[in-house]
Amino acid sequence: MRRWLLIQLGRAGLAAWATASLVFILSRVLAAGAEEAMLGESNDLRVRTGATSPVARQALRQRLGLDEPVFYVTRTSRASATWRWHGPHNQYHHWLTRLLHGQLGWSFRDGQPIGPQLRKALVYTLPLAGLAAAAATLAALALGLALAGGPLATPTGWRAALQLVLTSLQGIPVFVLALGLLFLFANPDALNLLPAYSLADDPENLPFGTYLLQLIMPVLTLVLAVLPELALPLAAALRHELRADYATTARAKGVPAPTLLRRHALPNALLPLLTSFASLLPSLLAGTVLVESIFSLPGMGRLLAEAAASHDYPVVVAGVLVAAGVRLLGLALSDALYALADPRIRLAS
Amino acid sequence: MKYVWIGLLLAIGSSACSPRDKHQKHSIVRIRWVRDPENLSPLVQPNQNAVDALTLLHCSLLQLDFSTGIHVPALADSLPNVHLVGDSLTEISYQLRRAATWDSGRPVLASDVAFTLKLYQCPGLPNENARGQLSFIRDIRLNPGNSRRFTLVCRGQAPEFRLETGDFPVLPEATLDAKHTLRRYSLAQLANLTSLPPRDTALTALVSRYQHADPSHHPERLPGCGAYRLQAWEIDRFLTFVRKPHWWADTLRPTPFVLQARPRQITYLIIPDETTAALALRRHELDVLPQLSARAFKRLQAADSTQQELSFYSIASYELLMAGFNTSRPMLHDSLTRQALAQLFDPAKLQKATQLGQGLRTVGLVHPSNRSYYNDSLALPAYNPKQAVFLLQQAGWQRQAAGWVSAKAKNKAQQAPLKLRLRYRADDQVFATVALQFKSAATALGIPVALLPTEASSLTTALQEGDFDIYVRKLSTSPFAFDFSMLLHSRTIPKSNFTKFSTRTTDRLMDAIAATGAPAQKRKLLRRFQTIIQQQAPFVPLFFLPYRLATARELQHVHPSGYKPGYYAAAATWNIASSTVAAAQ
Repeated sequence: MRRWLLIQLGRAGLAAWATASLVFILSRVLAAGAEEAMLGESNDLRVRTGATSPVARQALRQRLGLDEPVFYVTRTSRASATWRWHGPHNQYHHWLTRLLHGQLGWSFRDGQPIGPQLRKALVYTLPLAGLAAAAATLAALALGLALAGGPLATPTGWRAALQLVLTSLQGIPVFVLALGLLFLFANPDALNLLPAYSLADDPENLPFGTYLLQLIMPVLTLVLAVLPELALPLAAALRHELRADYATTARAKGVPAPTLLRRHALPNALLPLLTSFASLLPSLLAGTVLVESIFSLPGMGRLLAEAAASHDYPVVVAGVLVAAGVRLLGLALSDALYALADPRIRLAS
Repeated sequence: MKYVWIGLLLAIGSSACSPRDKHQKHSIVRIRWVRDPENLSPLVQPNQNAVDALTLLHCSLLQLDFSTGIHVPALADSLPNVHLVGDSLTEISYQLRRAATWDSGRPVLASDVAFTLKLYQCPGLPNENARGQLSFIRDIRLNPGNSRRFTLVCRGQAPEFRLETGDFPVLPEATLDAKHTLRRYSLAQLANLTSLPPRDTALTALVSRYQHADPSHHPERLPGCGAYRLQAWEIDRFLTFVRKPHWWADTLRPTPFVLQARPRQITYLIIPDETTAALALRRHELDVLPQLSARAFKRLQAADSTQQELSFYSIASYELLMAGFNTSRPMLHDSLTRQALAQLFDPAKLQKATQLGQGLRTVGLVHPSNRSYYNDSLALPAYNPKQAVFLLQQAGWQRQAAGWVSAKAKNKAQQAPLKLRLRYRADDQVFATVALQFKSAATALGIPVALLPTEASSLTTALQEGDFDIYVRKLSTSPFAFDFSMLLHSRTIPKSNFTKFSTRTTDRLMDAIAATGAPAQKRKLLRRFQTIIQQQAPFVPLFFLPYRLATARELQHVHPSGYKPGYYAAAATWNIASSTVAAAQ
């Protein structure tokens, strides 16, 4: 088990490093955007031309560490292009060395270390995504069992309606869900129950009730966004199991339908749910980009979206590392759960 | 059970959403910002929000009076005296207010101004923007007999120097340089340094002190002489500024408008999404909602009860929506062709479609509100496809089966049919609307147009490389300066003159306009310049965009304005009487 875990973690680490390295190199090659963003736009007649002079540009490049070669080797852009070796004096080497020492670098925008920024953002994102993941999983189990509880062929009546609702929900973009909830629950013309955004007053003494109120709509948005992709496959898998021979035998022996569903069909039908679970964490992370922007939560998603928009590449690369880590963690977790749920699956394989 | 849950939700909701204490509310103003200011160092000022915050924390020599639209003395006692020296230098003399003091009670002196200017030029600090902006100030001469009097020596001569020499936050020397180490350097010496001299311990120590103080996130370590201090800053959530109980300008009678600071507290709430912000305003969780889009503005106005609760303002800004032609392209080299294509933009309908008809149409770069310099004898650009066809024919284009072909073509490249690529920033619906309108009008005449929505930084690169035929973009103009060289001068090709348009006449005119201070002469030159540019048509000015603002109705004296940020927070007051009446009703 320990060896398997080490191999999994090693693979995950390698994949995260490769992804982040690629993003790092691409972003540094395109770093002109960051300079443009920081030196003021060329569409402002009020900016004196001196502000964007080559001297100012060079000084900025030096301060941001962009004046060194991007990688160990670079290709000259002259007609007779040749490769040039730079040794360890390159941006990638510095970044990697810092990373190995646990430092993610500094933000272009505010010059602050990225680690604390990410930690602060995760304080908002982890409870949000964690609550949403737990609520979505529980709701998916409940809805899956409810949907599969009827006739074996196709759902009818309220089950058919519920399936239709879930299928429709799957086609609604996250931002539409979020705005829909806002217009429903934070609108003086509708139900004026919940705060429109993350209330800012005195965050240290924020009452727990207010904190919960702030989380209701963001969590609900994420749950509604991922619920169909968890509940519908589970219901289909449960129906499939109920058609199996062992289920017919159990029925013939007089096992009540609810017991058959929960005790016999559910453990066998969990595998598709676990597959979905692997993609749940990245889906939630992607969902937080919109949810945090709409509900004004300063979490990871918003940090990354704003960093990308303002060409703050060190933050983007750090975010990619975290996102890749989450994705790989999700995969490793689902592999482990697979093995636990189905003893036929050997970890060694 | 379900009623218990609903009851609990209502109870928590009512406690969390209950209106704050009236007395407390009427001294606080809550304003929406789209993004965090990110950096509150006076040297950096990365965005408008940072500029707004720094205006609360610091004072400049001169500041813009939003009630009159002119720069007036703030830290300065009066407007500066300008003295031209020869034909290449300007001396500008200031006198500081006697009442002006730092929070410690120490007076604000000319030595503080000298320190500030030197800090802006000191290598090793994050001052790349400021260095360039203030590089025209070459020296500061302190008056030995009067510690509040000084003269700035500027390289060149331009009427705008008078305002630009007064438009920077003045910083306290004692905080960062108590031992006066910077005094041994002249301003020019520092400006000429490209990096920190390796053995210069004084400068290295100063840079180290600055970095250690980290004023970008701890502005309290470099306290200004403004009316407010930063009380709290939760990044990406909010910033709270509180009024200093004893501020030096409180003793001035009458208090100049730019030195008024009425709210006890100003809180900027970072709400990225406009719909969320609009709902927050309606729920009284917000008091000022600036920079509203046309759609949100219309929706807010149409909502029930908002007319009683909110005030709405729309004022033409100084941001010009324009389309530019790549004049280096052979097919767009002729001004007649450019004039013809200019007739295919429909500014009137675009203004209606994208801005609810708000904003201000214009003949050129000068704002129509400037009655003296605006050339009102010129016709506004208008949609006229018939005239476009006529002008195209005048320019030598003939409509054939393959499209519009130039009869004047001398080589194969010039024989290609007229075909255009229009580039614009992808993240703004206004640009897309303009592009689609032009494409539709051009296609109707048989001119194919390819639309190229482009990411913002890639757009600048593409424009600099000339990879376009027409662009659509916004241009921030200045109500006070008339130096258009950045946009149309030959020396700024291709860095910022993307159209690559230049003629000797317009170059000379722009240089003369920038150097002339005499209003009558300037008026003559500017009117001529606008006429020539309309004839040459390197770009089409569509209209000046509006700034839209919605505020709580009881909040008064916000001074809606076309100047950024579109309001003046420090002058705002609550009309308590009307709110009490409203509450009673």
